[in-house]
Amino acid sequence: MDAPFLDIKGLDKSFGGLRAINNVHIHMAQKEVLGLIGPNGAGKTTLIRLIMGILRPDTGSVRFRGKEVVGRKTWTIVNMGIASTFQNMRPFRRLPIIANVMVSCQCPRAMKRGEWVKKIEAKAMDALEFAGISDMALEDASTLSQGDLKRLEVARAIATEPDLLLLDEPFGGLSPAETDLMAKSIKRLHKGGRFGRLHSEGPAMIIVEHKLQQLMKIVDRIVVLDFGTIIADGPPEEVVKNEKVIEAYLGQGGV
Amino acid sequence: MDLIIFYFRKLFTILKKEVLVLPSRVVVILFFLFVLLLPVLPVIGNDPYMLRIFTLTCIYAIFAASWDLLSGYTGQMNFGHALFFGVGAYSAALLNHHIHIPPWGSIPIGALVAVLAGLIIGIPCLRLKGTYLALTTLAFPIILIGIVFAFPDQLGGELGISGIERIARSKVISYYIIAIIMLGLCTIMWAITDSKLGIILHAIREDEIAVRTAGINTTRYKLLAFSLSGFFAGVAGGLYAHYMRIAGPSTLEVSLSFQVVIWSIFGGIVSIYGPIGAVFVLFPLLELLRFWEQGRTLMFACIIILILLYMPDGLFPWLRDKIEKECPRCKKRNFWRRKTCRICTAELD
Repeated sequence: MDAPFLDIKGLDKSFGGLRAINNVHIHMAQKEVLGLIGPNGAGKTTLIRLIMGILRPDTGSVRFRGKEVVGRKTWTIVNMGIASTFQNMRPFRRLPIIANVMVSCQCPRAMKRGEWVKKIEAKAMDALEFAGISDMALEDASTLSQGDLKRLEVARAIATEPDLLLLDEPFGGLSPAETDLMAKSIKRLHKGGRFGRLHSEGPAMIIVEHKLQQLMKIVDRIVVLDFGTIIADGPPEEVVKNEKVIEAYLGQGGV
Repeated sequence: MDLIIFYFRKLFTILKKEVLVLPSRVVVILFFLFVLLLPVLPVIGNDPYMLRIFTLTCIYAIFAASWDLLSGYTGQMNFGHALFFGVGAYSAALLNHHIHIPPWGSIPIGALVAVLAGLIIGIPCLRLKGTYLALTTLAFPIILIGIVFAFPDQLGGELGISGIERIARSKVISYYIIAIIMLGLCTIMWAITDSKLGIILHAIREDEIAVRTAGINTTRYKLLAFSLSGFFAGVAGGLYAHYMRIAGPSTLEVSLSFQVVIWSIFGGIVSIYGPIGAVFVLFPLLELLRFWEQGRTLMFACIIILILLYMPDGLFPWLRDKIEKECPRCKKRNFWRRKTCRICTAELD
């Protein structure tokens, strides 16, 4: 039998006296789309940073396809097939948008998998095309709007052709129309296929989001974090009715 | 014969359609011609003193461009760039003085020793950023000066190592060798920054963590930047040692490290051509100001401050923006008098 796709066991992380992540267990199957929600400061972004190796957990393990991820360098993790976007977008502001994506296209994983792609510019362009900002490929990244920056983040992440995509608030700061577009892109990516020179096998995803209505249309399962602990885990319909979740979001005696 | 004419025609077409359409390309061609024809120019060429100044200018141009490659493009602020220059100079001098390796061997080996130095200081500096990195790198050439003074018998102490072989017998030939090496290396550096590698280096300057999440091994690329920069600066140091026929502690001084920062910022960092142009303006200018010996550094400083006050991005990017404008649609540059873009015919505002 194959090793589990993603297996997070007993993850702990404290910043000084604050326990940001407290004994988190998450088990994920291949091609599953997982929503990660929780009030502000619940540790969602911290969890993503722990998986990506930007932060190092105090204890616990993250296994991706049976291989331990904790303790590896970020770039090794990316080349194992995990990619992520940043919540507060971090584009290379003084580079043109196409060059932003060309950086990810040059990672060893993308170079190896696109063996028939000789021109990384063309591949970067296809990633932009997929994200829907190819018409602005030559502009500097500093001229982009919030929504387009989010799309640039997505383009940069999918250019590494990941098997597991961690999206940190992909709808944050987007207008309703843009949110719809982004949700459609995410669904299309999850279905998999070939987008020009870009190949998607339909990556599994963890999506951190506050906009529940949009999120529920995409995800198969929702995990709710509060103060670093998982308080609910299950299909979207069940989770939104869970009393603990309502309490965490609205406070005691809410509703 | 027909073939020659064919290639001549082709060259002419390229010249007409690719080079003459853009003022900056014309300026680059003129710069190449100026450097190559300098010894036969009427006023400057006949004067051995001027020839010497321009030879040193060429050496420092390599040095300044190599600083831009590391600190400008990759964003690893290096305030101790003289280390590479000094290591290159001392290694070439030692190899030539003790083992009698001729200049064509000692300069590349010296540059490789500078690469080694780049790796040695690069590895402890990998975790540092910004001001911390700048202060740490500042320390390394000072440490090396201490080592030089500690072993006066081997390294010459304060007097340095003298009596090194000349690059060539005649001054003009030395100039030509150094000038051609300068043009070649600077073109290579420009090509590096214009390549895919350059994009990664530039991205590291912008946001290192984002580059890591793009799956790029930043450690490897930062060390690559350190060693590339060290190589070019080491070549400059080796040329300096063989041209001046001495490698002394002055090649490691803090003032030289800061000089290169001043040149680069004056010319415009993150451009490669900026620092080169700045050296060609500022180094002869400092000699030109000799008519008022006591106040020349003061005037020099005033000129730099005035220019940077009005052109905060540096002199050469400012000039380039004046004579060229960017097409809003295809981002290609155009001559500033043009009404429509030469590539996509979009209207220029």
